[in-house]
Amino acid sequence: MTVTLLVAEDEPLMRARLTDMLARAWPEAQVVAAVDNGLDAWDAYLEHAPRVVFLDIRMPGLTGLEVAERIGRQAHVVFVTAYDQYAVDAFDAGAVDYLLKPIQPGRLDKALARLREKLDARPDDLRETIRQVKAASPAPARDKLKWLKASVGKQIRLIDVNDVLFFQADSKYTRVVLDGSEALVRIPLKDLLGGLDADKFWQIHRGTVVKVTAIRAAERVDAERMQVLLRGSSEVLPVSRSFTHLFRE
Amino acid sequence: MWARIVKWYRTWEQEQLAVMRNPGLAKQAPAGYRRYVACKLAALSANERDELYRFSTTTRGSQLWLALLKLCVILSAVGLLVKLAFLPDMHWWRAVVVANVIGVALAASLLGVWFNYRKIAHAKGRALVKMVGLGVIGGVYGGIVATLVKGEPLQAVLETLPRTIAIVTIAATVLVAAPLILVATLRNRHYQALATQLQRDAEQARLARELSETQLRLLRAQIEPHFLFNTLGAVQQLAEDKAPRAAELTAHLIDFLRASMSDMRCEQVSLATEFGLVESYLAVMQIRMGERLRVRIDLPPALAATPIPSMLVLTLAENAIKHGIEPSLRGGEITVTAHADADHIRIAVHDSGVGMSDTPGSGTGLENVRHRLRLAYGDDAILALSEAEPGLLAEILIPRKEAQ
Repeated sequence: MTVTLLVAEDEPLMRARLTDMLARAWPEAQVVAAVDNGLDAWDAYLEHAPRVVFLDIRMPGLTGLEVAERIGRQAHVVFVTAYDQYAVDAFDAGAVDYLLKPIQPGRLDKALARLREKLDARPDDLRETIRQVKAASPAPARDKLKWLKASVGKQIRLIDVNDVLFFQADSKYTRVVLDGSEALVRIPLKDLLGGLDADKFWQIHRGTVVKVTAIRAAERVDAERMQVLLRGSSEVLPVSRSFTHLFRE
Repeated sequence: MWARIVKWYRTWEQEQLAVMRNPGLAKQAPAGYRRYVACKLAALSANERDELYRFSTTTRGSQLWLALLKLCVILSAVGLLVKLAFLPDMHWWRAVVVANVIGVALAASLLGVWFNYRKIAHAKGRALVKMVGLGVIGGVYGGIVATLVKGEPLQAVLETLPRTIAIVTIAATVLVAAPLILVATLRNRHYQALATQLQRDAEQARLARELSETQLRLLRAQIEPHFLFNTLGAVQQLAEDKAPRAAELTAHLIDFLRASMSDMRCEQVSLATEFGLVESYLAVMQIRMGERLRVRIDLPPALAATPIPSMLVLTLAENAIKHGIEPSLRGGEITVTAHADADHIRIAVHDSGVGMSDTPGSGTGLENVRHRLRLAYGDDAILALSEAEPGLLAEILIPRKEAQ
């Protein structure tokens, strides 16, 4: 069976280098997506559900650490960095996989050998290490979104983010549903994600983000699938497999 | 009895010496006259205390008594000479006593003034009034006593009063107050010149230290490992693909390293040199970031020779990459320009990246730039940051006269 890989690195030459080297060193694996920022990395992860993700730490949109946090224990994570001494020390201490740029073939082979060994085991829990690294480095304290601009007919409507019950991806737009009304915003959902407080808004599907306080209940549909019932809206939102862990006790 | 006096004297002397070394001890002195004297000592300036301490430790014990004895011998001789020359009616022992009393009092005041010149130099009028006033009181008192001893009516005192006051005032002013105040003023002027010199030396030492610290910071900041490793990684990839850009990227990197290593050692470089450094840095970043970065650099030939503190524009360009373009999903453009008006030269670095709100941790680099500008131009240069819709505009404004 082919092992699926995701590569996220913002510089095109370094991205090409990592992809080329992986193709050479691990022929039975396949890079299913190579992206240049954190938001695309998260979206590509949801689309392809790769088994291993290679994440550059410094990326626009979401940092590699933030993407890894979202992925949780559902894929093996290998961090890539040029020079973050503190992060490297923490990775060593927590036995977290990482690669140093520029990537040298010998080091890559070693890392891949280690990875192959634990490929079938449940991925490690990286939360503690990520928390340490984030606490030590000046993480980009991205401003959270407060207002959304939505065009309704000829008018531009200003929507307070806290009034939104849920967001739903609609190709290049995002459908914004409030109590009793809805609007379309000209920003793709994946680009909105970075501005939403992950504690207040849960992503429950690649195309759905819901305000936690708007969730009335989550129910099991069958062994694999779940759905969410809301306050203030009669719509029923499906929970994709990657997110059912949010509702597990 | 004698032993007790000696013991008391020794204790007090030790206490005073201790206070001179450490004025904080004054509060621990026993209440009363000892506390009063200790507090007076503590109120002296550090310099005065130092001098007094040095004097007190070198002139003490037998040496002090010997000096005093010498003084008395000289004073007695002076008294006798004065008697022989001007006052043939006076008893010789009276002349000796009077000369000693006046001489020792003068010497004591001179010592006081010598070590406490600041207070007297700052309140000359008050010192004058005090000294003359005391002299007049003494003179009048002496007159009254003399009258009573001679058995004359007190009326006689009133008659001679104006004369006594006039003589004592003139004598006290000319013989005592004027020399003492003159000494105090001269000492104070000398001390102040010394203090100013010390302050200037300290200031210069501080500036020199700041300069070398700035250079050290530059050294640490410039060859950023992230920059170096990522660039080498890009070179490696291009080389493996046999892409001609491998040689190009290496050439830009070499230019950048060579220029920054030589510039780091200069405090000032020409605008042409600085723009050349920025150009090679941005050329490296352009190849690495591909279509995510566009670059435009414009330096009017007339400004090429203008001197500017080294690495400043580079710091702004690095900030534009790190906090403007790199965090931006779509990348952007960096424009570096310079132009001059009548009084100023304006150097602008604009990036069309994420703008001010998304730029954490940009503090140290900019603080460094501000600091270097202050060192070079005082308050005449400005670093201004403004939102530029899209992105951020960083401008350095330096005075034209200073710059040429």
